[in-house]
Amino acid sequence: MINMSIDIKNIAKLSMLRIEDEKVEKFKKDMEAIINMVDRLPNISGELGLNYDNVMTLREDIAVQNKYTRNELLQNAPEVQAGCLVVPKTIE
Amino acid sequence: MKLYEKTASELSEMLRSKECSALEIFEDVENRIKSVEDRVGAYITLTPDIAKKRAIEVDESFAKGEKLNVLAGIPIGIKDNISTKGIRTSCASKMLENYVPPFNATVIEKINNAGMVIMGKTNLDEFAMGSSTETSYMHITRNPHDLDRIPGGSSGGSTAAVAAGEAILTLGSDTGGSIRQPAALCGAIGLKPTYGSVSRYGLIAAASSLDQIGPIGRSVKDIAMLQDLISGYDKMDATSKNIEYPNLVDNLTANVKGMKIAVLKEFFGVGVDDSIKESVYKAIKMYEENGAEIKEISLPSTEFAIGAYHIIASAEASSNLARFDGVKYGLRAKEYNDLTDMYEKTRSEGFGDEVKRRIMLGTFVLSSGNYDVYYKKAKNLQKKVSEEFEETFVDFDVIISPTVASTASKIGEDINHPVKMYYNDSCTIAASIAGLPAITLPCGKDGNNLPIGLQLIGNKFSEQTLLNAAYTYENLCGGFNVLSQTL
Repeated sequence: MINMSIDIKNIAKLSMLRIEDEKVEKFKKDMEAIINMVDRLPNISGELGLNYDNVMTLREDIAVQNKYTRNELLQNAPEVQAGCLVVPKTIE
Repeated sequence: MKLYEKTASELSEMLRSKECSALEIFEDVENRIKSVEDRVGAYITLTPDIAKKRAIEVDESFAKGEKLNVLAGIPIGIKDNISTKGIRTSCASKMLENYVPPFNATVIEKINNAGMVIMGKTNLDEFAMGSSTETSYMHITRNPHDLDRIPGGSSGGSTAAVAAGEAILTLGSDTGGSIRQPAALCGAIGLKPTYGSVSRYGLIAAASSLDQIGPIGRSVKDIAMLQDLISGYDKMDATSKNIEYPNLVDNLTANVKGMKIAVLKEFFGVGVDDSIKESVYKAIKMYEENGAEIKEISLPSTEFAIGAYHIIASAEASSNLARFDGVKYGLRAKEYNDLTDMYEKTRSEGFGDEVKRRIMLGTFVLSSGNYDVYYKKAKNLQKKVSEEFEETFVDFDVIISPTVASTASKIGEDINHPVKMYYNDSCTIAASIAGLPAITLPCGKDGNNLPIGLQLIGNKFSEQTLLNAAYTYENLCGGFNVLSQTL
């Protein structure tokens, strides 16, 4: 068994999450327990085992006529101005 | 016998012989909800006005002599991760607390077209991540057979509703056992259909390559009726399988003569309660006495299925949940300095700890340097498990095992032990990662009078064989008593 140590703060950053300082230890302990469980997995050599039985059927690359109005799609948006989604400034 | 206690097939016949109206069925189930829901907590959102309107429409159609679907007028509860146009779909998360979908999932379109009566949206573990419905942001759900215990999860609201008489049928979703495990703990019947047989369009994704919507009910015939309604090819789901889906109800037969049933040794191992083993072996004996051929088999790779599952499921969940960023819909944090700050605050406020843990686990296994060690290894194991099952189904029709290793635990007992909680799904996960159909059936009770579940696993798209085996057991038992007698 490998005793993996996880850098919770770094993983949280990659996940766009923030973990409160007092919770870091608990997350670390829980995640390490899970990782140690999966570390027991045997190695099976070979290419990535994809299931070719269930290949996806992709739609034709044709624009679909939109059946929704702009208002319907914006009804759940947190902030809207002049029919557009508002986000914080992204260019300095 | 009250109307809410009846099965969908009984009510369907009563509607046609004018013994009752759809409105009367709605009112009876509605009254049942009023009298037990504050104790059970199966629903997040109730939709009595929409339901009543639908019931009246169904009665009007019957009065005009229109030919309606067998499930017309039957009350159904919908897991709250399945999109319903105009009805809040929260995934039991603060992130989607106020989200109202502008469209219906394909299964909801089918349910509406059939004239089914949607009673409301049922509780679940947040984003279907959990095995007890305790990670719901909204409230916990209690097991109708013992209110101090969990209903299982993640479809705990759906299975509790069925066991409490708060719906005749419900829809759940199953990624690693989320229909079967709670159905077993609540003494209900739950089918996880073959991956690709029910459209996932409108199901808010947890792990897209494993998620599958399926029916939960109180009789095998009801399960067949609902599965007939929701299955079928859908061009809106790229993983939907474009094949014929023969009618299951019409071909339902209670006969297992000559059926080859494999007893999966690994699932009767350490950790499975003795009372559960005993009950399932009793069922196996009943199958044998009625002409089935029974043989014990071993699938060594299933031991590793649980590890592979958690890697694949977390990896996909971390990608799927990246969309919740506070921009287009859902929660947005109140105060922030810039875009990254908004993302991080929104996600940290919107997601609960179990969801965060899985997102981070997924991010970890997919991150540079870990991908080969974890994700690739897991995908190869998934293939290995699938191949072992495939070889088994050359010689056998059905595999039998317990559904869960133990009966319902007390509320709060396991929630702080994620590894223990994850092992809870050890009997259900293998069928999930192999994309196979599997059903759980009530199989007696333990010493605490808690329901035990029996699982049957079938080959891909062999729902008919699976349901016939289930139907046989149901008949041999003289029907199942799914409804709680203690509420």
